[in-house]
Amino acid sequence: MNPFQYHIADRATNAKEIFSQHENAKFLSGGMTLLPSMKHGLIQPDHLIDLSRISDLQGIKDNPEYLSIGATTKHQEVAASEIVQRSIPGLAYLASQIGDPQVRARGTIGGSLANNDPAADYPAGALALNARMVTDRREIAAENFFTGFYSTALEEGEVITQIQFAKPLKSAYAKCKQSASGYALAGVFIAVFPNQEIRVAVTGVGAGVFRWAEAEQAFLNGQFKPNLQRDDLISDLHAPSEYRVNMAQVLFKKAAQQIQNN
Amino acid sequence: MQITVNGQTQDLSIKDNTLLIDVIRDQLQLTGTHSGCDTTQCGCCTVLMDKVAVKSCTVLARQAEGTSIQTIEGLAKDHLHPVQEAFSEEHGLQCGYCTPGMIMSTVYLLQTHPNPTDEQIKEGLAGNICRCTGYVNIIKAVKSAAKKMQETQV
Amino acid sequence: MNAPQELLRKEDLRLITGHGKFTADWSYDGMCFGYVIRSPYAHGLIKSINYQEVLSAPGVIRVITAEDVAAAGMKSLPTGATMQNLDGQNQILAPMPVLAVGYVRFVGQPIAMVIADTYENAKHAAELVQMDIDVLDAVTDYDSARAAGAPQLHAQASGNLSIHYIRGDQAATEKAFENATFVSSMGVKSQRLIGSPMELRAVLAKYDTSTDSYIMHSPNQGMLGMLGALEHVTGIPKAQIDLQTQDVGGSFGVRSGAFSESALVMLGSKLIGKPVKWTGTRSEIFLSDWHGRGLELNGFIALDSNGKILGLRFENKADLGAYTCYFGSFIGARNLSITMNGVYDIPALSMSSELYFTNTVPVSAYRGAGRPDIAYAIERLIDHAAYDHGFDPIELRRKNFIQPNQFPYDNKIGSVYDCGEFDLLLNRALEMSDYNNFEKRRQESLKNNKLRGIGLAYFLEASGAGTAPKDQVIGQFTQEGVLRIFAVTGASGQGHATSFSQIVHEKIGLANDHIEFVAGQSDKMMIGSGTGGSRTLYGTGSAVMNLCEQILEKSKPLTAQVLNAPESQLEFTNGVWQHRETNQTLSISQLIQKTFVQGQPHLLNLTGEASSGATYPNGCHIAEVEIDPDTGVTEIIQYTAVDDVGVAISPTLVQGQIHGGVVQGIGQAFYEQAIYDASGQLLTGSFMDYAMPKVGCLMNIQTEKIQVPTKNNILGSKGVGESGCSGSLPTLSNAVINALRPRGITEMDMPFTPAKIWQALQEH
Repeated sequence: MNPFQYHIADRATNAKEIFSQHENAKFLSGGMTLLPSMKHGLIQPDHLIDLSRISDLQGIKDNPEYLSIGATTKHQEVAASEIVQRSIPGLAYLASQIGDPQVRARGTIGGSLANNDPAADYPAGALALNARMVTDRREIAAENFFTGFYSTALEEGEVITQIQFAKPLKSAYAKCKQSASGYALAGVFIAVFPNQEIRVAVTGVGAGVFRWAEAEQAFLNGQFKPNLQRDDLISDLHAPSEYRVNMAQVLFKKAAQQIQNN
Repeated sequence: MQITVNGQTQDLSIKDNTLLIDVIRDQLQLTGTHSGCDTTQCGCCTVLMDKVAVKSCTVLARQAEGTSIQTIEGLAKDHLHPVQEAFSEEHGLQCGYCTPGMIMSTVYLLQTHPNPTDEQIKEGLAGNICRCTGYVNIIKAVKSAAKKMQETQV
Repeated sequence: MNAPQELLRKEDLRLITGHGKFTADWSYDGMCFGYVIRSPYAHGLIKSINYQEVLSAPGVIRVITAEDVAAAGMKSLPTGATMQNLDGQNQILAPMPVLAVGYVRFVGQPIAMVIADTYENAKHAAELVQMDIDVLDAVTDYDSARAAGAPQLHAQASGNLSIHYIRGDQAATEKAFENATFVSSMGVKSQRLIGSPMELRAVLAKYDTSTDSYIMHSPNQGMLGMLGALEHVTGIPKAQIDLQTQDVGGSFGVRSGAFSESALVMLGSKLIGKPVKWTGTRSEIFLSDWHGRGLELNGFIALDSNGKILGLRFENKADLGAYTCYFGSFIGARNLSITMNGVYDIPALSMSSELYFTNTVPVSAYRGAGRPDIAYAIERLIDHAAYDHGFDPIELRRKNFIQPNQFPYDNKIGSVYDCGEFDLLLNRALEMSDYNNFEKRRQESLKNNKLRGIGLAYFLEASGAGTAPKDQVIGQFTQEGVLRIFAVTGASGQGHATSFSQIVHEKIGLANDHIEFVAGQSDKMMIGSGTGGSRTLYGTGSAVMNLCEQILEKSKPLTAQVLNAPESQLEFTNGVWQHRETNQTLSISQLIQKTFVQGQPHLLNLTGEASSGATYPNGCHIAEVEIDPDTGVTEIIQYTAVDDVGVAISPTLVQGQIHGGVVQGIGQAFYEQAIYDASGQLLTGSFMDYAMPKVGCLMNIQTEKIQVPTKNNILGSKGVGESGCSGSLPTLSNAVINALRPRGITEMDMPFTPAKIWQALQEH
């Protein structure tokens, strides 16, 4: 890895300060995507600002209307959290399927969302649950947060502090893993809200996470093979787009059946 | 910076871009922890950090500052750890390269799942690749270790 | 005497406590680090390379270039045995230079080595190189290599063809097909793989000016083979290279030759007067360890009206990669012929194999080295023929088995099979897998919308006769009565030390902790083959047995002296010499302790030797799979392996080899493939895209051994190391095709990924 200077931030404001004072700085949370990229020379920051010691960014809090998860909360914590398992079981399950145990011991929700890998799991959960990304300067709704291939609405130096999830009536996640990397070849998250509001989000299949309108309609109609047509469907050496579409349909059915059985 | 490794607190002077695995192997000459890939997948570098299994190739030394690290060399006390015994008895290792990481992951797995099911073993060792054994005897070793550890608890 | 107890592995203690010593674990004071500059292009003409900025980068000591290599008089890497046609026509060779000269011919090909004070400095400096290379069109498989107008890699090889290798009796085979009632054909591909042993290759050289000699640390599959290769390339006599290797993290055929990096660190160390270490990252290893397989086998089988095989013909293609390296040619030519009839009595055989150069990493041995591939091809062909013409696949095999009374069986195309009981193993496998009740289980699965299949294969393997005329081991006793055995083989997890200790323990009664096995000490003069072709157990093991027999023989008069008794009163029983009347006993260790003279090699320090011919391990494997048509995912419900490895010295280790081989087969069958794009870039460049089998890919395996001892060595043992691969490839493939056949799918190539299976089901 290229040489860099390591800084520890103890407060979100302090993180912002250090960022603004140094050129070519990046935030470090769990490091499970940033550090491998740095080892390959794909990203070469001169400064790393470690957010993991900021107490405000940690912890899972239960509120009447919503759950709030600190941005540096590890996947392992979300997966094991009794609060999350009770209120948003789909989210706890999603976290349990990321990577492997060692990766889940370090990787964080804030890091995953800020990276917005088109095959990552959290974007599907966040979009389906219309999570609110609370940053050091504003709140961004999930539907405005994911702006494209590895890109988000975050500004330079903006730090996610916590992610707020409204509590759905029901939730479920189903994933098909790419057999080498463990990332999502397809992942489907279904959230059921009051007043027949159904939100279905898909990852791994297109250039970024997206809402699947046909699936939401199908769920309401009790059907399980919604159409999926997009311009940005991925075909790669692991699977052609037809297979991804098929898996999205299979996973949708699986998640839908899980919801119905609960 | 200060870091405790296998019970001994070390005062080290390192560059910020030093990885935990480099501290362990190069500075402390604990070469039992191995590097097997460059995409954080193979698990040969697994150590326990504050009792949790992590991949030391993807942790900065600075991120491990102030923590307590246990490597394979620190597992046996006056006698072998039950997991180590079980791996040998069940022929759960051949070349031994993935073994330290596999053992540390198993120790961690058994902490939270003292009597793991097949599914839990599959998930628990999903971050460790072996090319020699075919995993069949590794699974046996995990189950045997679980049994040994339960028996010593009684 | 009680049944001998199987000894626990003596290798384990250091490995489970983190005290193994793999090559990268060695360090020397003042050590410097090498980093290889590699070709970013699959095919190119080197116009100029400018190292100015590299040399002036921080910490850089030297750059080893092609000029340095030439000035040192280095040769290219060994090409392995030159394949020759029956008419005397030799294969066209294209040896790989240590560093590229004139042209680069595959992405990853070494161009230079930067040596610096730290690894980071060497790597950083390497990125500053300025290369002026004219990019040329590339060919990345044998089909594009042989196409009209394809770019030619080597001036001497027109059409990129190294040899069109022909063996067998064409005339007889043609006749057989003319007379046949039934003919079937099936083409299969054995896709290019990346061996990926877990230990990343590394090499460390320390040159000593005062003695003009080197200490080397390197993974290897046998000291002599590695020393021979290093001597060939560098010109440095073996006696001046002290190769010290303790632990090797898997080899599978990939470690058996010297690589460019090995020669470069030696040269580097001499030029700069400091030890030089090179370690590869996994992505680098993907581009520099030899790849495996890369074969296409097109089989044609002729049957009479009863299903008796009249003739068999194969037309094959092999991808050599960019250069002829080590075993690639041997595999694509000879190894695809010598056991092409499998376990069947076939009167007419002929084969041809076209070996092509492509702009890819050179191909060499990977577990089985062509034999799993031919077993794969014939066992799939026989299934295919059975279904084609309405024969039961089991009975068609049985009808054509070589019968026990036909051994030794000369197949007239390169092998004399020693012995086998194919019917016996087949029946046992059928029984263990509850084969006869499969249909019921298939129907049950269908009710749950799952496609269940059962696949059987009877494979036969040729375990190598080795490259040396005989195998020797040297035994030396210490004062404490510990026997140290020296050999030239190279273990990488097989447990040689334990198996040989088992032989010694059973034959001359030494306790496990009084037996040491030392491989890889180059100061001992010995003849022997390295580890490869699954032969170490019986090759070196036979020499160990011979050593023990000599020790026993010579220890008798010595014991008689010590016990002051006539030899006629002595018998060796229960692991000790015993006086028939007085019941006095004396173990070998005690004998040594009592008769040891300081400074004098003991009388019982002897050289054991044996000449062991090739052996033919074989087995019947059966797999039952269940495919989910919605996802294309295959689950292996049960795997049954019944193997004849002759006499099994260490049954647990044998079973471990079967497990490992089967799972590598699962890797090839369901997960792995090295994929290049049209420009010659390796798309599967790391474990992110090259899928390795992980824990849980095989949960239910039952194994059994049926021992049919061979007469080709004094142990009666056959090899086992590669059998798991030879068995699993056809077994799993036949199971998958069996599951998909009801849906009209009869052909498919590996890997059977979920996407591929699903796609095929959509089209049927």
